[in-house]
Amino acid sequence: MYNLTRRHFVKLTGGLAAAGLVSPMFPTLGRASQGKKHVVVVGGGYGGVIAAKYIRMADPSVTVTLIEKEKLYYSCPLSNPVIAGFRDMKVQRWGYENLAKHGINVQHDEVVEIDPVKRSVSTAKSASFSYDKLVVAPGVDFKWDAIEGYTEKASEKIPHGWKAGPQTLLLHEQLSAMKDGDPYIIVAPPMPFRCPPGPYERASLVAWYLKQHKPRSKVIILDAKDKFAKQPLFVGAWKELGYNIEWVPVNEGGKVTRVNADSMSVHTEMQEYKSSAINVIPPQKAGKIAHAAGLVDKTGWCPVNQKTFESTVHKDIYVIGDACIATAEIPKSGFAANSEAKIAAAAIVAAFKGEPEPDPSYVNTCYSLLSPDYGISVAAVWAFKDNAVAKVSGGVSPEKATPAFRKQEASYAESWYQSIMVEMFS
Amino acid sequence: MHDMKRRTLVLAAGVVVGGLWGAPAMAGPTPSMLSNTCAGCHGPQGVAPGPSIPTIAGMPYNFLKLMMTEYMKGDRPSTIMGRVAKGYSDVEIDAIAKHFAGLKWGVQGGASVKGKSVDPAKAEKGKALAKECEKCHEEGGKKQDEDTPRLAGQWLEYLQVKIDDYKTNEKYPQPKKMKSQMDKLSVEDLDAIAHYFAGQK
Ligand SMILES: Cc1cc2nc3c(=O)[nH]c(=O)nc-3n(C[C@H](O)[C@H](O)[C@H](O)COP(=O)(O)OP(=O)(O)OC[C@H]3O[C@@H](n4cnc5c(N)ncnc54)[C@H](O)[C@@H]3O)c2cc1C
Ligand code: HEC
Ligand code: HEC
Repeated sequence: MYNLTRRHFVKLTGGLAAAGLVSPMFPTLGRASQGKKHVVVVGGGYGGVIAAKYIRMADPSVTVTLIEKEKLYYSCPLSNPVIAGFRDMKVQRWGYENLAKHGINVQHDEVVEIDPVKRSVSTAKSASFSYDKLVVAPGVDFKWDAIEGYTEKASEKIPHGWKAGPQTLLLHEQLSAMKDGDPYIIVAPPMPFRCPPGPYERASLVAWYLKQHKPRSKVIILDAKDKFAKQPLFVGAWKELGYNIEWVPVNEGGKVTRVNADSMSVHTEMQEYKSSAINVIPPQKAGKIAHAAGLVDKTGWCPVNQKTFESTVHKDIYVIGDACIATAEIPKSGFAANSEAKIAAAAIVAAFKGEPEPDPSYVNTCYSLLSPDYGISVAAVWAFKDNAVAKVSGGVSPEKATPAFRKQEASYAESWYQSIMVEMFS
Repeated sequence: MHDMKRRTLVLAAGVVVGGLWGAPAMAGPTPSMLSNTCAGCHGPQGVAPGPSIPTIAGMPYNFLKLMMTEYMKGDRPSTIMGRVAKGYSDVEIDAIAKHFAGLKWGVQGGASVKGKSVDPAKAEKGKALAKECEKCHEEGGKKQDEDTPRLAGQWLEYLQVKIDDYKTNEKYPQPKKMKSQMDKLSVEDLDAIAHYFAGQK
C-alpha cells in the first residue's frame, strides 16, 4: 500500500505506534490497494483537514493520511484583530492531536513531489506514499517577483501577514511602535487572492486602533484594483465610525511598482510613500506543490471539475480551497474551502463505491470586523444546475442597520470562527 | 399550547411540496450534503461551541422547518439566516429540518474563546419568574414538543438576543401567548430568565 523503503517503514511505524494507530494502517505491506482504499491529503488547513475528516466519516474503511508541514495551525480568519491588539494569538492557534481519534494518520512533513502516473507523493523527509486518490489543499503562495523589491527577505521588514503566525505579530508590533502622525500603509493585491474583504477589514481595524492611540495618523490603502468586496458597506462604516482611511484605487495611481525594505518605502508611478509601518499583501498563486505537480494552468491556479473538484489536468487528484479555481463567484475563503472539502470528500467516497457523482451544495460566508463591536457579512448558496455552478441566493449585510445589529454580527463572527475551527480540530 | 400548533398548521397549508413526513423523492443534493454546510456556523452535527450562534441539533422538526421557511420567505428578521435560507427549496428545507431533528442535542467543547457564563444569582431569580414560560417551555426548557424549541443549555447570548427580539421587535413572528408574557416582564426579569434557561443541563 505504501511505497516505503524498509528504513522509512520502521521510522514511520514507530511514529504511528506512538499515536496508537499501527495495526490497521499497514495490513500487509506490499499488498496493493486491493479492497482497502488509501487517500492522501496534502495540506492541513481549512480545506485539507475537513476533506480528511469527511472521507473517514462517510466511509471508515478508507485509510486517510494527512501530510502537513507545520506542527501548529495559525488561523488567518480573525488574525486582523491580533494586529489591532484586541485578540490574543493563542486563540488563533490549533493542533492536530485530535485527528488521530478520527482514524486520520497525520504526518508532519512537506510534500515535495507528486507522481500522477504512479499515483504517489514523496516528502522532504524522503518518505513516499502511494494513493488511490489524492487531495491537494496547499493554500496560496506569493508571487515574490511581482512587485520589484518585494522578496521573501523583504517581508521580514515589510510583513505581508497573509499567512498567520509570526508575520501577524510583526504587523502588530509595527503598528504599536509607529509614531503618531505617520501613515499606516497597506498595499492591496489584484484579484484573485485569498480573502477578498481581508485587506479592508485590516484597514478598518488598524484605523480603529489609530483613532484611539495615534489620532494624527491615517491608513492609506494603495490598491491594484478599482473596486473591492463589500465596498459600500466598508466605505459607509468608515464614515459612520469616523475612521481616517484614504483609499487610492488603481485608476488614481494606487498600483505599487517597487518596494524598498531598507528605506521602508513603496513607490507608485506617481509618488513615493514612506513609513515605519507598511503592510504589503503581494499578488498570489496556488501553493508551491500545485505548481511543482503541474496542476496549474496559465493563471497560476488549478482548474477543476466544478462538480467534484477533481483536477482537469490529472486524474484522481482533487484540488480544493484557495489553490483551486472554483467558479469565479466563489471566493478564496476558509468557509469556501470547508464547503469544497465536503463536496470533494463525497465525490471521492462515491467514486470508490462506483456510485454516480453526488450533487453538490456550495456555501460561502465571510464575516468582517470593523471594530470589536461592528461586524458585517456576506453569504451565498450555490447549486450545480445544467452542468454549471449557479447561485441560488446570497448577499451582504444591509447598508443601513442599528448598532445592535452590527454588534450581533460581530458576536456571530466569533461564533462562526469557533464552530468552523472546532469542526476541524476537535 | 395549542396556540403554538396553529402557527405550524398555517405553515403546513402554505407549503404545498414536500409537506409529507415521508422522504420526498429528491433529485439533487442529499440531506447530509445540504446540512453539512450549516456546520461552518452551527458547529459539527449542529452542536455549536458558542458563544452566540445556536445549537440546532435535536430541535423539533416542526420548529426547524418553521424557522427556515420564515427566514426563506423573509417573514422572520435575522442578521444572516434570511440570506442563507433563500438558497433552498421547500423540499430541501424539509429534508434539512428532518436531518437536524434526527441529530442529538449536545454541548460542544474545544472552543478557544468561551461564551458568556451563567450568573447563578440571576438564574435563581429567573427560575421563579419563568413559571409562565414553562407552560410551554416545560421541564426547565428541556422538553421539546412539536414546535417548541429547547431552551435548556442554549447559548446565553443567543437566548438574550432572541428574548430582546421577541420583546421589542413587532415584526417578529411568535405565539401570541408568549408575546403577552414577554410584555408583562421587565427587561431585567427576562434577562434573569435567560440565565435560568441557559444554565439548565
Ligand atoms: C487576514 C485574513 C483574514 C481572513 N479572514 C477570513 C474569514 O473571516 N473568513 C474566511 O472564510 N476566510 C478568511 N480568510 C481566508 C482563509 O484563511 C483561506 O481562504 C483559507 O485558509 C484557505 O484554506 P486552504 O485549506 O486552501 O489553505 P490553508 O488554510 O492555508 O492551508 C494550507 C495548509 O497546507 C500546508 N501546506 C502547504 N504546502 C504543503 C506541502 N507541500 N506539504 C505539506 N503541507 C503543505 C500549509 O502549511 C497549510 O497549513 C482570511 C485570510 C486572511 C489572510
Ligand atoms: C453564516 C453562518 C450561518 C450559516 C451558514 C447557517 N446559519 Fe443558521 N443561524 C445563524 C445565525 C447567526 C442565526 C441567528 C439568526 C440570525 O441572526 O441570522 C441562525 C439561526 C438559525 C436557526 C434558528 C435557531 C433557533 O433556535 O432560533 C435555524 C433553525 C438555523 N439557523 C438553521 C440553519 C441551517 C439548517 C443552516 C444550513 C442550511 C444554517 N442555519 C446555516 C448563522 C448561520
Ligand atoms: C404559548 C407557548 C409559549 C410560551 C408561554 C412561551 N413560549 Fe417561548 N416559544 C414558544 C414557541 C412555539 C417558540 C418557537 C418560536 C416561534 O414559534 O415563533 C418559542 C421560542 C422561544 C425562544 C427562542 C428560542 C430559539 O431557539 O429560537 C425563546 C428565547 C423563548 N421562546 C423564551 C420564552 C420566554 C422567556 C417565555 C416566558 C416569558 C416564553 N418563551 C413563553 C412558545 C412559548
